Amino acid sequence: MKLVGIAGSIADQSYNRTLLNFIAKHCKGIVDIEVLNINDVPMFSQDNDQTNTPVIQNLSAKIKAADGIIIATPEHNHTVPAALKNVIEWLSYKVHPFDGKPVMIVGASYHVQGSSRAQLHLRQILEAPGVNAIVLPGNEFLLGDVKTAFDDNGNLKDEGTVKFLDSTVKKFIKFAKVINMIDKTDDYETEDLTASGKADTTVEGVDMKADDWLDQAAKKVNAVEGDTYVKLDSGLLTVNQLNYMLKTTPIELSYVDENNQFIYYNHFLPTEKMLAKRTPAQVGDPLADVHPDVARVIKHVKQVISILRSGKQDLVSMPVPGNNETKHIMHYYKAMHDEEGNYKGVNEWVLDLMPIVNEYLKETGQMLVPDPNKKVDATAGASKKDDAPQAPTPAAKPEVDATSGASEH
Amino acid sequence: MNKFVAIVGSNSQKSTNRDLLKYMKRHFQSKAEIELVEISGLPLYKKTPDEFVPQEALDIAKKIEASDGVIIATPEYDHSIPAVLSSALAWLSYGIHPLVDKPVMITGASYGSLGSSRAQAQLRQILDSPEIKARIMPSSEFLLGHSLQAFDEDGNLKDKKVVEQLDGLFQDFLQFVNIAKQLNNANDVNKQKAEEFSWDKD
Repeated sequence: MKLVGIAGSIADQSYNRTLLNFIAKHCKGIVDIEVLNINDVPMFSQDNDQTNTPVIQNLSAKIKAADGIIIATPEHNHTVPAALKNVIEWLSYKVHPFDGKPVMIVGASYHVQGSSRAQLHLRQILEAPGVNAIVLPGNEFLLGDVKTAFDDNGNLKDEGTVKFLDSTVKKFIKFAKVINMIDKTDDYETEDLTASGKADTTVEGVDMKADDWLDQAAKKVNAVEGDTYVKLDSGLLTVNQLNYMLKTTPIELSYVDENNQFIYYNHFLPTEKMLAKRTPAQVGDPLADVHPDVARVIKHVKQVISILRSGKQDLVSMPVPGNNETKHIMHYYKAMHDEEGNYKGVNEWVLDLMPIVNEYLKETGQMLVPDPNKKVDATAGASKKDDAPQAPTPAAKPEVDATSGASEH
Repeated sequence: MNKFVAIVGSNSQKSTNRDLLKYMKRHFQSKAEIELVEISGLPLYKKTPDEFVPQEALDIAKKIEASDGVIIATPEYDHSIPAVLSSALAWLSYGIHPLVDKPVMITGASYGSLGSSRAQAQLRQILDSPEIKARIMPSSEFLLGHSLQAFDEDGNLKDKKVVEQLDGLFQDFLQFVNIAKQLNNANDVNKQKAEEFSWDKD
């Protein structure tokens, strides 16, 4: 999980910044925290909109990309520092990066109050419609008497305080997961399965839906074929050799690019024998055309791609309905990225796990027996079947997919 | 006649809060001398080791010191007062204490129906802080909602009921200022306490 921290002070020396840096350092194992700098933010003014300056854009982008925000606020005149309020005003005017974001408030002050009133004001501010952050309820962390709270290395001295901070951060991480899940349900709607956009590699001027898209597109880009060599990152193969290998890989592979265009599958079986049926004429089609036009199927496809594209999860997997003792077909969707980490599409693979399981049982002389502790087979339950994908649909219910996820790493 | 400083709590060129104070200045000219003060020239408040206070803030402080009372008109940004007003109040309590025991009347205008109610509530708390210690007129909310439609072409408030309320409140404020002048037994102590209040580090 990635969080950003905002110290609500622009003073040269700030105990709240020290506190945030301590939290970042102390919680390194469980969460990544980047402490943002708000020093150079100009005074908010409606007459002089500076939303598009790098300093505001950078803050906005960092907050938008984060799974949550920790704000450490001092208290000035019973309220948050003007500098902090100022940042929030910019970030609730033309851009709204806090919208739906989980936020945890902490605060340190020189006096016994520990920023109690500033924190209450901050809650009200963050709940304003233009900000619309979702603030962790309760769990107030007020660090009073801050002058004596840290040692020379910027570590909190009091063990009880550290323990309380630990538990608060852990609660916030759980809270953020839940809030992000709620928020995520709408994200996927923006996935464009008609592939009307354009990736760097999109072949323009060829009808994606054409049955002979492959031939037309290949011609257009002067694609190499046959015995022409292709240099790969760890090998040199001819196009033919690549095909030999891919077509004998006993897993159904598909490539969907970042523009949601289906551009390849390893055609090693006739369509009717495939677990997820594909035809040569489908190659090049936008995803919307590869899948039956059923609302829930489309929804699931969008959800999976959205999760992968956003980086919330790196891998989505799920069994197809109708699995039994003789077959257990799995669909896997793995996000692909270039060297800079840009999303480049989905690598989908489909396979039946049962031959592998059977092989293993045979080799080791074991057999499958039902787990007496498990009441019902939850993974193949009826509720899931209702919502289950229709092959060859890359469909999944992300909310039931507990088997994988980058967010858990 | 009482002299009041009226602080425009917005740095927008077009501000119905400024319009409201301009109206009050004119409307109450027989009862008090009101001078509008702008805060848009102040930089964003920042603590420094040498506790530097910009000249613009010192100038405003001087005016407040010389006045009998302060009227503040605040818009509401994100449920609270604008950063620019918050920043100005921080400057006006950073090593200088012009607002200690100074009678203050809070008003506010907003485009929506709420009339800056939450900003005013926060402003009361802010003015009550140990570094500022102003004397806020109690029970005197003046919330001007739908402020874009509230004034006629001459800048006068259109709604008679609203004018009546403002008249009443202003009359109360004049009384409050008189009373406050007698409530000065702790003034020296209060000033000293505000001065002793250490801003130290954030």
